[in-house]
Amino acid sequence: MTAFTLDVRGVTKRFGDGAAGVEAVRGVSLAVEPGEIVLIMGPSGSGKTTLLSMMGALLRPTTGSIHLDGIEISALSESRLPEIRLRRFGFIFQDFNLLSALTVLENVAIVAELGGVGRRPARAKATALLSDLGLGERLDFLPEKLSGGEKQRVATARALVNDPTLILADEPTANLDSKIGHEIMNLLRRIAKDQGRSVVIVSHDQRIRDVADRVLWLADGRFTDVDAMATDPVCRMSVERDRAVRTERDGETFYFCSRGCREEFLGRLVPSTG
Amino acid sequence: MSATLLLARRNLGRNRVRLLASVGGVALALTLTLALDAIYAGVANQLTTYIDRAGADVWVSQAGVRNLHMVASWLPGSVTDAVRAVPGVAGVTPILYSTDTIAARDERAVAYVIGLPADAAIGGPWSVVKGADRVGRGEIIIDRGFARRAGVSIGDSVIVLGAEARIVGLSDGTASLLNSVAFVSFDDFRAMRGGAPVVSYVLVKVAPGASPEAVAAAIERQVPSVTAQSKTDFSAQERRLVMDMSADVISIMNVIGFVVGLAVVAITVYVATLARRREYGVLKALGARNSALYRVVLGQAVLSVALGFVVALAFTGLLVLVLPLAGVGLELSISAASLAKVGLFALVIAGLAAILPVRQVSSLDPAVVFRRGVAI
Amino acid sequence: MLLARRNLFRDRTRFLLTVAGVAVSIGLILLLAGYRSGVYRQASAYLDNTPGEVVVAERGIRDFLGTSSALPAGAEEAVRQTPGVERVIPVISQFVIFERHGRKDGFFLVGYDPARGGGPWKLAAGREPAADHELVIDRTAADQHGIAIGDAISVLDRTMTVVGLSDDTTFWAGSIAFARISTLESLLRAPGLRSFLLVTPAAGVTPMALRDRLAHPATEVLLKSEVVANDRKLLARVYDAPIGLMVAIAFLVGVLVVGLVIYTATIERRREYGAIKAIGARNRALYRVVTIQAFIAAAIGAIAGVGLAYGGGAAMMAWRPQFRVDIEPAAIGVVLAASLLMALVAALIPARLVAHLEPAEVFRG
Repeated sequence: MTAFTLDVRGVTKRFGDGAAGVEAVRGVSLAVEPGEIVLIMGPSGSGKTTLLSMMGALLRPTTGSIHLDGIEISALSESRLPEIRLRRFGFIFQDFNLLSALTVLENVAIVAELGGVGRRPARAKATALLSDLGLGERLDFLPEKLSGGEKQRVATARALVNDPTLILADEPTANLDSKIGHEIMNLLRRIAKDQGRSVVIVSHDQRIRDVADRVLWLADGRFTDVDAMATDPVCRMSVERDRAVRTERDGETFYFCSRGCREEFLGRLVPSTG
Repeated sequence: MSATLLLARRNLGRNRVRLLASVGGVALALTLTLALDAIYAGVANQLTTYIDRAGADVWVSQAGVRNLHMVASWLPGSVTDAVRAVPGVAGVTPILYSTDTIAARDERAVAYVIGLPADAAIGGPWSVVKGADRVGRGEIIIDRGFARRAGVSIGDSVIVLGAEARIVGLSDGTASLLNSVAFVSFDDFRAMRGGAPVVSYVLVKVAPGASPEAVAAAIERQVPSVTAQSKTDFSAQERRLVMDMSADVISIMNVIGFVVGLAVVAITVYVATLARRREYGVLKALGARNSALYRVVLGQAVLSVALGFVVALAFTGLLVLVLPLAGVGLELSISAASLAKVGLFALVIAGLAAILPVRQVSSLDPAVVFRRGVAI
Repeated sequence: MLLARRNLFRDRTRFLLTVAGVAVSIGLILLLAGYRSGVYRQASAYLDNTPGEVVVAERGIRDFLGTSSALPAGAEEAVRQTPGVERVIPVISQFVIFERHGRKDGFFLVGYDPARGGGPWKLAAGREPAADHELVIDRTAADQHGIAIGDAISVLDRTMTVVGLSDDTTFWAGSIAFARISTLESLLRAPGLRSFLLVTPAAGVTPMALRDRLAHPATEVLLKSEVVANDRKLLARVYDAPIGLMVAIAFLVGVLVVGLVIYTATIERRREYGAIKAIGARNRALYRVVTIQAFIAAAIGAIAGVGLAYGGGAAMMAWRPQFRVDIEPAAIGVVLAASLLMALVAALIPARLVAHLEPAEVFRG
C-alpha cells in the first residue's frame, strides 16, 4: 500500500476527560521514508515525548492511526507489541539507559537474545556491531566506566542489533559535548544512508539540523511550518515568528525567545553604533 | 545460560551489599533448620550408643517398655532363667539400669547407671582406656570425659545411686550431650534399690544362625509380661523417641526458619527490583515481555536462595566437623531427608519471594524511559 | 526532622517493608523469649504447686526432673520425726514412655498419697485416683491422643483407667500424670520406694533452718527454689543454645532488613542528598536524617512486633496447647532496647554512603 516506513495519520492524544482533559498531541500526520532522517523540534511541553512514545508503540493514540512497515501498530493488541518493539524499532535515549549490571557486550547481546537469537550468535553479532562502532576494546567494561559518547555508541549498537527498520532517538546528544554529539549524529546519518533505515530524532539541538533530511516543528501538539520559524540571534533557540518578541534593525526583523534576549541583543549593539 | 538468567546473575552480583544481605539471610534461616535437624539426628545417634555397643542381639524388658532413655524397666529376677530356656538363646546377661546423677567434687552429670554382674559376658564397657573393665563391689567405671571435667581419676570416688563408689576404670565413647554411661556392680545396685530380686533388662546373645527377630518373638511367647526386641528394633524405637518428642519443637523452629528465610528473600528481591525499576522499564520498552522480566526476578530469587542453601550446607557441614573437636559431647548428623526438606523449603521460598515484585514489574510503564532525572 | 519523616512516609510500600522487617524480628525475639520462659515455668509447675519448702532426695541428686531418685529406706520416717517439720509429702516419680497410635509421648508419672498431698492441683474433670489401676492425666495430652475419662490405657505392663484430667500439667518433654504411690511401688517392683520428700517447716522455722536440720549424709536436702533452679539449668542445656541462636538470627535479620531498605531509599535519593550537601548541609545533618528514618521505622516496627508476638503466641498455644508462651514485661523492655540497637546498626550502613556523597552528584545527568 505504501512505501513509507512510518505513517502517522491524524493522531491525537488526550490525557484525562472532559474539561480537565489535556490534548498533548492534536491531529498530527507524518510519513517517513526508508533511509530518511526526520528531526522533530519544539519547546518543552510541546508534545514531543508523547508523540515519540506513540510512534514507539509505548503509548496508544486516542484517535488516528500509526502504521509501521504497513502494520497498523496502533491497533495491535498489547501482547503483540513487545515483538514489534523488539524487531522493528531501535531506541536511543538521552540518558543512554544501559543496564548497569551488564557489561557493554552483554547490554547489546541480551537484546538480540530477547529477540530469539541464540547465545553465541547474539554475542558474535554484538561484538561485530560494537567493534564497528569503535568499542572493540571496551566489550567487558561496565557502563559506569564509559564516557558519555561511548555509552551512546553502546546504546546505538543495542538499537541496531535486531536490524530495525525505524530508529527512534530521544535527545541523543543532550548529555554529550558538541564534538561527541556531532560524531553520534554522523553515525546516525551513516546508519540511515548506508543501511536504509529510517531515523526519527526528537531534539532541541540546533546542530542536528545539518544531518536531518527534514525538520519539523512541534508546538502545542501540532506541527508548524518550519518556514514560520526563526532563530533567536542571542541564544540560538528556534522561535515562532508569530509569537516571538521581535525587533527591527536595519530593515531586518530579528526574533527572540524572550525580552531578556532582545535586551541583550540591543545592548550589544549600542557600542557599535555609539 | 539464558539471557534472563544472565541478567539475574549480574543484577545480584553487582550489588554486593544486597547480595550479602540476601544470601546471608537465607543461609541463616536454612542453617537454622538444617542444624536443628542435624542436632536431633545426632542426639538420636548418640542416644542409641549403649544399645548399639552393649553386644546384645535381643533386649528383654518389662512389658510395654520399648526404650532405654530415662525410663524404668523392672522385671522379676526369675525372668533371666525363663529367657535362658527359650530355644535360640545362646547366653543371657541381666542388667540393672537407672538414669541417675553421678557427682564428683563439684561436677555432677546425668548418667545411665548400669548394674553389671561380675560374670557379665556382654553389656559392659566396650572401650576402656585406663584401668579395669570389670567392676566389683564398691567400684565404678565412668566416662573419661566426665572424669576429666571433674578432675578425678582411678582411685578417686564418686557419688552414685546415693552411695560412694571408687573409680577403677575409665571408658571412652560412652558420653553424649544428654548423659554418659557408668558401670557399677550388680549387687551394689540391687542393694541400693532395697535388695528386691529384680532386674531391668535381660541382654540376650542368640545362637549362631538364629534370627534375633525370631528369638525375640519366641521370648515374648514363652515368658509372660515381657517385651523382647531385637537390637535393631530397640535402636529404632529409641530414635523415634527423640523424633516424636522433639517433633513439635522441630516443626515450630522449621516454621520460624521458613518465615525468616521467606521474609529476607522476599524483601531483598523486592528491594532489588524496586532499585532497578527503570532498567526493567527500559527492557520493556526495548520489547522484553513481562514473562521475561518475571524470569529475571525469579532467577534472582532462585539464585540467592540456591547460594544461601549452599552456604547453609557448608556451614552446617563445618559444624558437623568442628563440634566433635570442641568436646561438648554434641554430635551432628545431616540426613538425606533433612536435606530434601530444606531444599524444598528453599525452592518454595524462592517461588514465593518472586511473587511480590511481579505486580511491580507488570504494572511498569515502559514510557519511563523518556522521563529523565526523575528519582524513581 | 521533617525530611526524614517525609522520606519515610512518601513511599508507603517501602515504609511498610521496613516496619514489617523490624516487626517480624522483634515479634520473633519476643515469641522465643516467651516460649523459653514458658518452658521454664512449666518445668517447675509441679514443685510450684505442691506444698513444701524443702526437698529431700537421693544423695547426689539435686534436680527433680532429670533423674530417678531413690531414697534410702527409713528416710521418710527420720524426716517426719525431725523437730520443726510440719508436713511431709512423699512422692515417687518416674519418667515413662507412653505410646498410642504409633506416637511416643512422655509421662512424668508422679505417685502420691491422696491423704498426704502432692496430687493434681487443678483437676479439670473427673476425680483423683482411688484405686491402684486408676490414673489422672493431663487434659491437653488426653485431647491429643483422643483419650477420655473412663478409657483404658497401658502403662508399662499395666492397663490403667483414666479417672481424671488435670490442667497446667504439660511440660517440655510431655506431661505430668498422677497415680497412687502404691501404684508406682508395684509398677517399679520396689515396695517402700520413695523418690522425694517435700517438707513444710513448722511455724517459726525458716526453710533454711529446716534444711540445715535435715541434713544427713545419706540424702540430699535442698530448698525447693534450689531444686527448681537446677531443673532450669538442666533445661538450659537443651534449650538455651537453639533459642539463643534463633534470637541472634532474628536480630541479624532485623538489622539486615532495616539497613537494606533504608540503604536503598538512600541510594535512590542520593541526588537529593547531594543537593542538600551542595547547599551546605554538613554530613552530620544527613546522618541525622538517615538515623531518624531508621529510628522511626524501628519504633513503629517494635510496637507492631509486640502485637505480633502476642498474636503469634496465642496462635501457637491454640495450635499446640502443650506449648506455653509467657511474654514477660521485662522481655518487652529488652526487645525495645534491641530494636533501638537494630536501628542504630542498620543506620550505619547507609550513613557511610551519605558521607561519601559528593555534592557534585547533583550536576550529573
